[in-house]
Formats: sequence, structure tokens, C-alpha cells
Amino acid sequence: MLKTILPTIMLIPLAWLSKNNMLWINSTMYSLAISITCLPLMNLSCDNSLNMSLLFFSDSLSTPLLLLTVWLLPLMIMASQHHLSKEPDSQKKLYITMMVLLQTFLIMTFSATELIMFYILFEATLVPTLIMITRWGGQTERLNAGIYFLFYTLAGSLPLLVALVYTQASVGSLNLLLIQYWNHPSIQVWGSSALWLAYMMAFMVKMPLYGLHLWLPKAHVEAPIAGSMVLAAILLKLGGYGMLRITVMLNPITNFMTYPFLMLSLWGMIMTSSICLRQTDLKSLIAYSSVSHMALVIMAIMIQSPWSFMGATALMIAHGLTSSMLFCLANSNYERTHSRTMILARGLQMILPLMAAWWLLASLMNLALPPSINLIGELFVTTAMFSWSNLSIILLGINIIITALYSLYMLITTQRGKYTYHIHNIKPSFTRENTLMMLHLTPLLLLMVKPQIILGTLY
Amino acid sequence: MSHPKYKPSRLATLPPTLDPAEYDISPETRKAQAERLAIRSRLKREYLLQYNDPKRHGLIEDPALARWTYARTANVYPNFRPTPKNSLLGAVVGIGPLFFWYYVFKTDRDRKEKLIQEGKLDRKNNISY
Repeated sequence: MLKTILPTIMLIPLAWLSKNNMLWINSTMYSLAISITCLPLMNLSCDNSLNMSLLFFSDSLSTPLLLLTVWLLPLMIMASQHHLSKEPDSQKKLYITMMVLLQTFLIMTFSATELIMFYILFEATLVPTLIMITRWGGQTERLNAGIYFLFYTLAGSLPLLVALVYTQASVGSLNLLLIQYWNHPSIQVWGSSALWLAYMMAFMVKMPLYGLHLWLPKAHVEAPIAGSMVLAAILLKLGGYGMLRITVMLNPITNFMTYPFLMLSLWGMIMTSSICLRQTDLKSLIAYSSVSHMALVIMAIMIQSPWSFMGATALMIAHGLTSSMLFCLANSNYERTHSRTMILARGLQMILPLMAAWWLLASLMNLALPPSINLIGELFVTTAMFSWSNLSIILLGINIIITALYSLYMLITTQRGKYTYHIHNIKPSFTRENTLMMLHLTPLLLLMVKPQIILGTLY
Repeated sequence: MSHPKYKPSRLATLPPTLDPAEYDISPETRKAQAERLAIRSRLKREYLLQYNDPKRHGLIEDPALARWTYARTANVYPNFRPTPKNSLLGAVVGIGPLFFWYYVFKTDRDRKEKLIQEGKLDRKNNISY
């Protein structure tokens, strides 16, 4: 793992010591090179995990998420070039430092063996993200957004610390490989429900669950593009990853404790999808669609069947790439019109046809078109939920329809129709932007061919 | 020769010059039309002043659109006041369904569990589930 972590840390001196005209080129190219060093982790043997040391390991669940993380750093750097172009050089270098620091923490989080290390890095990822949102965001609401983001996540994860320390004291070890064999006491007391809640609430807030999702639209909308990308693509998946790791040791309390969260997720995904249909702000629409997709992941993890775990991991990777791509597309609109209002930049298909192609593909992926990996995730989750209870198909079906509705609504509003008379002076698409979309889309399209790698540990 | 009568369609509406009702419009409607024209001309004048200004470098912003988006996105809660109607709406749409679906799913699953315990449910052996 050090072959990835050390070069990532060394990206910080690279940023500070580069010549000013080589700054973006250096950081993008070297972070792309680092993403290649992570590829050999895919060479896993059957179900086992690759235990690299006492601290780091990687198995078929953490490897796709790790690859997503390292793939995203060059994309974030590429996306930020334009909005930082007017800032002084030290600010640019500071921004790259924040991104690299976040990247390091994320790599270590996804490959952590001990749960305490996972927790410390889970909390540590909040700090660079908060700095990125509050310092480089666009509007004055970013301060409010930063506060909501920080305090919701902190309040959710403080019980997790207590629960982890208690488990360490009572069980003796929090090594992920060992706690699978922890025998639960068969007597269920109120305390075991409280322990279950303490474990899960941190990840529920992070995912986010429908009732606790208030931080997400604010943080996603007010963050700069790199912040939005990393929030949507990876930080949400931290919650999913944590839940997937912890549910192995929480049976049998899980049988009745999951009902409230399942109901919140089932109803919440329909609610948030419906809210998407009424949004004026483009980034807000994409943020609410993230909540809706993550509600599917929460449901899948709660019902704990092999298919649902496979669907959850596939959906996490697919949504990470799709959502990040949609934010990049929204940002390309924002850089041209300096407004996030959807109706302000209509009919772009006439003016920017190649960008329209990327919009089409991203919207089609978002609505889980076959044979994309989004569909694989959604289909597995839907089928597993159907076997959990036949009636859930009603709610899931409604959600799939509404997802298609708002994705197409977003596509049609921004691309089709007559363009507004004042957008004749829009700059054509930069090669950098087209490369960015292509780099987002290539993994999505290639994974269609071999989805086994993102299906997680139970494939 | 007689010209064929103009028939309006969905994409080609009847112009006011061919509309006989145009001559019967009341003074109030005329006054309203004049006021709307005044607002439109003022906005168009402001836009053209900015558009043709040689020293302008950036985008022309519509303040009405900015106010509208601000009101729809960021200014909702400060103007919210709990009333019986919207509390009822919140309860029926936000909280009620949670309990409703909980009872629906619980009864369905308990019924299935009872059938399984009695051995009456047809549980073929699935490889993947």
C-alpha cells in the first residue's frame, strides 16, 4: 500500500515546488501515474483478501473503491483548472494540497485493517473537504453548508467512536479479519440495540439516509467542482463501505433494528426523486439524485443477502462515476453562464454538440439504462428487495420511473429546445473538458464488459 | 378573386390584425396592455444599454431571475410558518407513510414467516438469493 500512499503524499511537494506554468500538468500527470500503481490490486485470488501488512489490506470490496479514489484525483485536478485560473499561485498550490491530503486519507481509509484506524481517517477526511467547501465555494451560503456538513457528520460519528472503543475493550481486537468470528451474546438487551445504533448512525448520516440528508444538498451545491466530485463520488461511499464492513458482526440484532432505516430509505428514495423533478438549480438536482441512489444502497445493505451486497457495491462504483460526471457537466455550464439555474442555459445541443453527447450518456447512465453497471446494481438490489418482501416492488418500481423522469427532464431542459437568445457568446468546449468527460465515461463503459470486478466480496 | 380565409393553427396563431375581437377590447384591458408594454420596454432598454455598452466585459445578469432562484432555493425556510394545513401535509406525506409501510411490510413478512414455520411455503432451493 505504501507504493500508493507515499507517492500521493509526495504530490504535495510536487505542487509546491513546480514551476507555475507546469503546476497543473505535473499534478495531473503524476496523479494519473499513481492511479496505475493501484491496478495490480485487482489481481486477487478468489475470496481472499490481500493482507499487505498489519495496517493495510485490500479485498474485493475495497479494491474497486480504492481504484475509484485514485482515478478521481487527476479528474478533480483537471476540473479545477478553470475556476482557479485567476487566483494567486500559492492559493492554487494550497488547493491541490487539500485535494492530495484528502486523497491520502481516503486511500488509507479504504485499505485500513483496524476499525479504529478506519474511524480516525474517516473523521480526518472531513477537514480538507470542509476547507475546500468554505474557502473556495461560490456563494455566501457555503459557510452554512460547511457547518451543516461538519456537524451532521461529527454528531453521527461520535457514538461510533464510543462503540468501537467498547468493542475493542470487550472483544480484544478490532481487526476486520478477526471480528467476523465474534460471537454475539444471545441475550438481547436494550444495550445491544443502542450498540447497533451507535455503529450505524455514523454511516447513515454519511450515506445519507433520508431523514438525515439535509447536509448533502447544501454541501454539494456550495462546494467547488473538485469538492462536489469527491463528495459525490467517494465520501458518500465511505458510509456504504463502513456499513458493509460492520454488518458482518452485528447479527442477530439486525433482524429487527433495520426496519426503521428500511422504511426511511424506501419512502425517502421516492421523496428525493420527486424533489428532483421540482428543482431549478442543476447541482441541487444532481445532489438529490445522489440521495436517492444511496437510499438504494442503504436498503441493500440492511437486508443483507448475497445479491443485495453485490448490488450495493456495484451501485456505489457506478453512482460514483456517473454522479461525478454529472457534476463536471454542470460545472461546464456554470463556468459559461455563472449561474446554476437550469433554464438559463437551454438548448445547448445546438451550440455544444459534443458536450451534448456527454450529457446524453451521463443522463442515460443515471437512469440506469441497460447494460450499464448502474442497471446491474439497481437490478440486483431490486431483485433482492423483492425476495425480502414482495410488496416492495411497488415502491422500487415507482422510484425507477421517477429516476428516469428527472434524468430525462435534466437532459431535455439543458440540451433540447430552442436556445436562449443571450447564450450566443458561450465559449466552445475545451479539450480539457472533453477529456474529463471521456475519462469519467471510459471506466463506466469498460466495466459493462466485466462487471465481476465491482460486484464485491460475494461474487 | 377571393382569398382563402386564414385559419389559425397551433404554431401559427391568429395575429391581432386579423382578429375582429381586437376592436371591441375594453379600456381596462387596453390600460393593462399598455402597462405591460411599458414594463417590457423598460426592461428591454436596460438590457440594450448594457448590451451595447463598449466598456462591459462580463455577462448581463437578470435581477428578476436572480431573485426568483434565490427565493426558490435559499429563502424558503425563513418564510416558513407552521400552519395546520402544512403540518398536516408534512405528517401525511412525510411521517405517515413510514408507519404505514412499516405495518404493511411487517404483516407481509410475518405472514411469510408463519407459512415457512408451518412448512407450507414453496421454498425451492435457489442457488442465488
